[in-house]
Amino acid sequence: MNRRSFLTTSLLAPFAFPLSRTFGESPIPAQRLGKADHCIFLWLGGGMSQVDTFDPKQLGQNQGEKKLPGSLYPSIETAVPGVRLCEHLSRTAPLMDRVTAVRSVQHKVIDEHAFATNLVHTGRMISGNALYPSLGSIVANQRGAASPEVPAYILVGYPNVSRGPGFLGTKSGYLYLTETSAGPAGFRRPDHLNEDRIARRKGLLEPFLNNASDGAAADYREAQQEALRLAGPGFIRHFRLEEESASLRESYGGEFGQRCLMARRLIQAGVRFVEVSHNLNFLNGAGWDVHNDGIKSQHLLIQELDAALAALISDLERLHLLDRTLIVVATEFGRPPEFDARGGRGHQGTAFSMVLAGGGLRHCGAYGLTDDLSKTVLENPVSIPDFHATILATLGVDPHKDLMDGSRPVPVTDGGTPIAALLG
Amino acid sequence: MYGASDSQAQQSADGNDAFNDISSLPAPALKLKEPAVKAVPAILPGQLRPGQVRVDLCENGLPDKNVWPETSPISTEHYYAEAFGFFETPHFYTDTGVRGDRANPLFFRASARISLPAGKHRLLLRARGASCLFIGGEPVLSTPFPPEGRDDYPFSHQNRFLDLGPNCRFVQPGNRESWCFYEANGAEELAVLETVVGSYAGKNKRRPELGETVVAVCLEGQSNWTLLTPLDGKSEAMLQLTYTDTGWATYRKRIEEKLASANAEARERAREAHYEYWQRRRDIAQDWLASTREEAVPALPPGMPAKNTIDRFIGAKLEAFRGQSVEATQGSVDFFKDVWPILEGRCLDCHRGTKSKGGLRLDQRELALKGGKTGNAAIIPGHLDSGELLQRVQSIDTEETMPPKGERLSAREVTTLKTWIAEGAHWPEFRPVPTTLTPLSEDLAFLRRVTLDTVGVIPTLSEIAAFQIDNAPDRRARVIERLLADPRCADHGVGYWQDVLAENPNILNPTLNNTGPFRWWIHESLLDRKPLDLMVTELVLMRGSERFGGPAGFRVASQNDVPMAAKGTILGAAFLGVEMKCARCHDAPAHHFKQEQLFQLGAMLGEKPLTVPTTSSVPMDKLHAGGRKALIEVTLQPNAVVNPAWPFPEFVAPELAGALAENPTNPADALASLLTAPQNERFAQVMANRIWARLMGRGIVEPVADWENAKPTHPELLRWLGRELVRSGYSATHLTRLILNSHAYQRQTLPTQREPNPIYAAPSPRRLQAEQIVDSLFVATGKPFHTEEASLDIDSNRDMGNSLSLGQPSKAWMLTSTSNERDRPSLSLPRIQAVCDVLAAFGWRATRPDPASIREAAPNILQPAILSNGIMGTWLTVLSDDHAVTQLACDARSPRALVETLFLRTLTRLPSPAERARYEALLEPGFSQRLQVPTPAASEAQPNRPPFYVSWSNHLDPNATRIRMQQEAAARRGDAPTQRLQADWRQRLEDVLWSLLNAPEFLFSS
Repeated sequence: MNRRSFLTTSLLAPFAFPLSRTFGESPIPAQRLGKADHCIFLWLGGGMSQVDTFDPKQLGQNQGEKKLPGSLYPSIETAVPGVRLCEHLSRTAPLMDRVTAVRSVQHKVIDEHAFATNLVHTGRMISGNALYPSLGSIVANQRGAASPEVPAYILVGYPNVSRGPGFLGTKSGYLYLTETSAGPAGFRRPDHLNEDRIARRKGLLEPFLNNASDGAAADYREAQQEALRLAGPGFIRHFRLEEESASLRESYGGEFGQRCLMARRLIQAGVRFVEVSHNLNFLNGAGWDVHNDGIKSQHLLIQELDAALAALISDLERLHLLDRTLIVVATEFGRPPEFDARGGRGHQGTAFSMVLAGGGLRHCGAYGLTDDLSKTVLENPVSIPDFHATILATLGVDPHKDLMDGSRPVPVTDGGTPIAALLG
Repeated sequence: MYGASDSQAQQSADGNDAFNDISSLPAPALKLKEPAVKAVPAILPGQLRPGQVRVDLCENGLPDKNVWPETSPISTEHYYAEAFGFFETPHFYTDTGVRGDRANPLFFRASARISLPAGKHRLLLRARGASCLFIGGEPVLSTPFPPEGRDDYPFSHQNRFLDLGPNCRFVQPGNRESWCFYEANGAEELAVLETVVGSYAGKNKRRPELGETVVAVCLEGQSNWTLLTPLDGKSEAMLQLTYTDTGWATYRKRIEEKLASANAEARERAREAHYEYWQRRRDIAQDWLASTREEAVPALPPGMPAKNTIDRFIGAKLEAFRGQSVEATQGSVDFFKDVWPILEGRCLDCHRGTKSKGGLRLDQRELALKGGKTGNAAIIPGHLDSGELLQRVQSIDTEETMPPKGERLSAREVTTLKTWIAEGAHWPEFRPVPTTLTPLSEDLAFLRRVTLDTVGVIPTLSEIAAFQIDNAPDRRARVIERLLADPRCADHGVGYWQDVLAENPNILNPTLNNTGPFRWWIHESLLDRKPLDLMVTELVLMRGSERFGGPAGFRVASQNDVPMAAKGTILGAAFLGVEMKCARCHDAPAHHFKQEQLFQLGAMLGEKPLTVPTTSSVPMDKLHAGGRKALIEVTLQPNAVVNPAWPFPEFVAPELAGALAENPTNPADALASLLTAPQNERFAQVMANRIWARLMGRGIVEPVADWENAKPTHPELLRWLGRELVRSGYSATHLTRLILNSHAYQRQTLPTQREPNPIYAAPSPRRLQAEQIVDSLFVATGKPFHTEEASLDIDSNRDMGNSLSLGQPSKAWMLTSTSNERDRPSLSLPRIQAVCDVLAAFGWRATRPDPASIREAAPNILQPAILSNGIMGTWLTVLSDDHAVTQLACDARSPRALVETLFLRTLTRLPSPAERARYEALLEPGFSQRLQVPTPAASEAQPNRPPFYVSWSNHLDPNATRIRMQQEAAARRGDAPTQRLQADWRQRLEDVLWSLLNAPEFLFSS
């Protein structure tokens, strides 16, 4: 096969030609760029309550006549003196020296999930003038896959525009699967086909492929031959969790944990960016969007996150991959310390937590400071562009460079600055 | 409530999960409370027609909460229907025929004379809104107003839907139902059904939908249910319309067709009302044509084939270019391979077009020789020392060096430039392209291409046969006429305009720069073959329905800080080839149109001054952070107020609006008239160029949406086409006809040619557009296009501002993003997603927050992967009972005949001898034994109870996730294979079909 021309056209192509055209940039010193090679981006859709997880405050009361604002659960000590977490994060707590809870994230957008989800994924306000790429697509575009055998960006969750490549085009898009048993869309052969039929199909297709020997049809043929190969066992085995030991699988926990384990397998295979969405409905219907009664099982969500996150950190460390792999726990907004009529919580974008782990950063357990009830940011505010800039810098991508939307230069972040204390 | 037994499709019911078995129920007592509407409606006998149901729509006087009006509302509009079975009213059209909104809520009254035989019958009433059935002036049945909006209704209430036996369909999501016994004496009676369409969810309104508003009857002693139908004056019997799933589907399909033609007639009437104005516009256009120079049609060079005038222009250019290309072969440097990439990549961002830096342009040879403001020639052919280009790229002075930012040119690049200049700086107009004309394409290749280019799908077997038996010498022209008259042309056009106009509806909580679903206006405009100037005028006036398909939907841009500026960029690119995306926030480096001009345009569109927000500006201090002069400028400060003004006097003088616009004092109307004025030659040419580019593979001007820096390849032809468009009354069909009938269009493709040939010596194979691929796959296989309704609120329980329904998709363009930003399995639409996955892989955009005139066309491995292994691929390649190839296989006379049919259906050609032999050899074994008698299912009694439905109203119930996961698994499995064909043989045929559908050839129009 003519691999060279395949690589220049296919979705799986490493980004072979870095953009050299720049636009009003001031390159930051290379030493302030990190050396991480992969990113596992855990998405807690619905809005994780920071006071009930990574930014615990005084205990509140969500039942009865007189409700008291505050955390719903007691807090515990962690490996980092002075940094406390909610008690349901007990497995992550001893690992907090490999973790930084960024407690001072803030944005000002309306309280709507899709809108804020778009902001946290693209780092931009929506605009009618450009379709902005997601963080995953930017990383895919800038770094390519670490191996030509796999795509740069895989999503375990539902496809949507916020996760998409925007103006960077399909080659920077994702392969997706909706759950661990589903297999990646387009690369899992239908279950009703046996090996004989697959062979027969290939045999029948072959002459048609040979016919397509010229021009655009020949380009398509090459993509098709590659697709046929990838639908085979070599690529699909990265999705086969059965190859992991039972005890390891168990340590990761339920479906969310299994997705994290799959993410680890995928980055080992060379995938650059894996977004893993927390499977929301399974536990309480609304996931992290804990309005009203939804909050009754919030502790189960936190425990599931705890098990998966702690297992992922430990597993990556065991494989000497933690320093090269940045784990991000992201969400569209946080929640206020006050409770609603039925003891749940509303939305709060003005102060909330997102989490970074591994990636070779100088971790400090927690960064940024909120007030006594985590309603406002007191120290070290971090905007969404700043948060993106931090992730990109950690992955060795200059956060001040420009991407090209056709002939139009678009800064990779909307004026974001990396958190210097973490990059060192 | 009237009926003692009613069930609600939405009710926070608890307990009773047992299915209702009506046969075991005691007869409900007909004990009626206070009538819902105090006055029984007065129907004048003269208003009723035999055999028809009169429907009155009453738009005035409804309360602003969920209660019945005190008095019976007055009819504002009426029409006639055939039975008491309603799902949609005819649309209301306003202005020149754009969809408008009726009152919401709307009062709906259906009345007819009926006659039920003597006996004790069962009557059933179902409706989405509150409803009441009167017979003989007495209220007989009613249903309540829809319940409050929720997201966690328990599923148990779905078990309480009435089970009226196998001969009655179940209630649909979002409808309420009740039934009773009714004692008839055989006399003629008046039946009146009243319902309130639309309701309140708190203070907000719900979509005004009829759902399935039905009166059905089951006569004493019988078990089959039929729709209540009016008494026919001529025959005693009432029409028999069975109310089963299939009966309803047949009925619905027929009524949908009737409604579509009623709607078309209503649009026609609306346009008629504006006939005088538009006739005046036509006269002005003809006067203008008469007063301006006609484009001279060149003589046809010897040896050039020509079928019409277009070919004369093409031929003359070809002849001229053949001369040029000889010159280009001199020298050791290949200009397009070696030099152009350097200029394009490193210089042209600033040194091209109308706003070049330092006045220097490097995009054309003569301008580069001329030089810029420094007065020095940039390039002096043959001289290595004196040209400014070579000096500046080699300079180390930071104030002098070029390019000003980024990496310097490499030594190799500099050497290339030097060699090129030393050898004379040869600069041909085009890359080397084939100049030898190909002959006319083969008949079937022509048929496939022209069918795809008009109706958007591959030809069917009967279309192929009709073409092949036509022996007339003008058979190609005849097939073009047939296709141009085909309503499927509208389907083919929608996707293009959705992209260009950034149509971007969102079925859930629209906050992502979403618009209304003005796809329906696009579709109807194309169906009606509206003149392009009228269509653009309707768009610019943005009237009609915002949320239900009028051009007012274009007005919306949710969460956008200046919607009208965003819309201005769309209009500029779509209709004038003016690219102003940059001007949204700052004056652009490469375009001379300024932010102020965009805001002037936006102010005209919005009919009021526009204020520049801080969010759409670039702070100047950031711009001056660096050393050299910033590339972009900001000349409009935040909070500046910009008044409506026509920003493009170079295209047409603003004063013309006074004579042209229907209402010149209205800024939007003035804008529409200036955009579409015949004097505005740019408009006609941009539109002609768009039509040309879609049919010929590239525009005479490229890019089609940004003309500022472009040079037309055929300026005379472009002008001629523009005038033809004006002459024809802005008929896109006329221009399409001209192009399709040209020799240039009908030439054989050159498979080795990757890019479109700019002199049109031969077409290049073109990959089908995403929608063409999906729709053609369904045409080729005959597999029904079946997805969920495009809505996450199928029971209409939510505020209509937050939940749209885009209806039941039957074509690719009707789909949209499933919008599962929440990652909730319960909000997934697995079948729609499966089709969207295919579309998206081939360049379709599930959401369109910004306009696009061209799509990404590069191949990627997701494309073959999703076709070969994706869920939609499974549906198409499993021979289920409803698959057309199953029937073909059953009916086939021989393997050979079957193989030939399959090739024609999929690839529009017969198999080659080798292909025929290969496939015959595969299908011959077992062919004569392939048929088998289906083994009857274990239980004959098929329950007709529908599966549980999931909607926003119940998606937080844990059952919702479980049910959706089952639906996802079912979508993945596809339909069961047929039992009519022996399994091993069937599987071989499935593999044959798979190979044909996955052949690269399927995706290309050659």
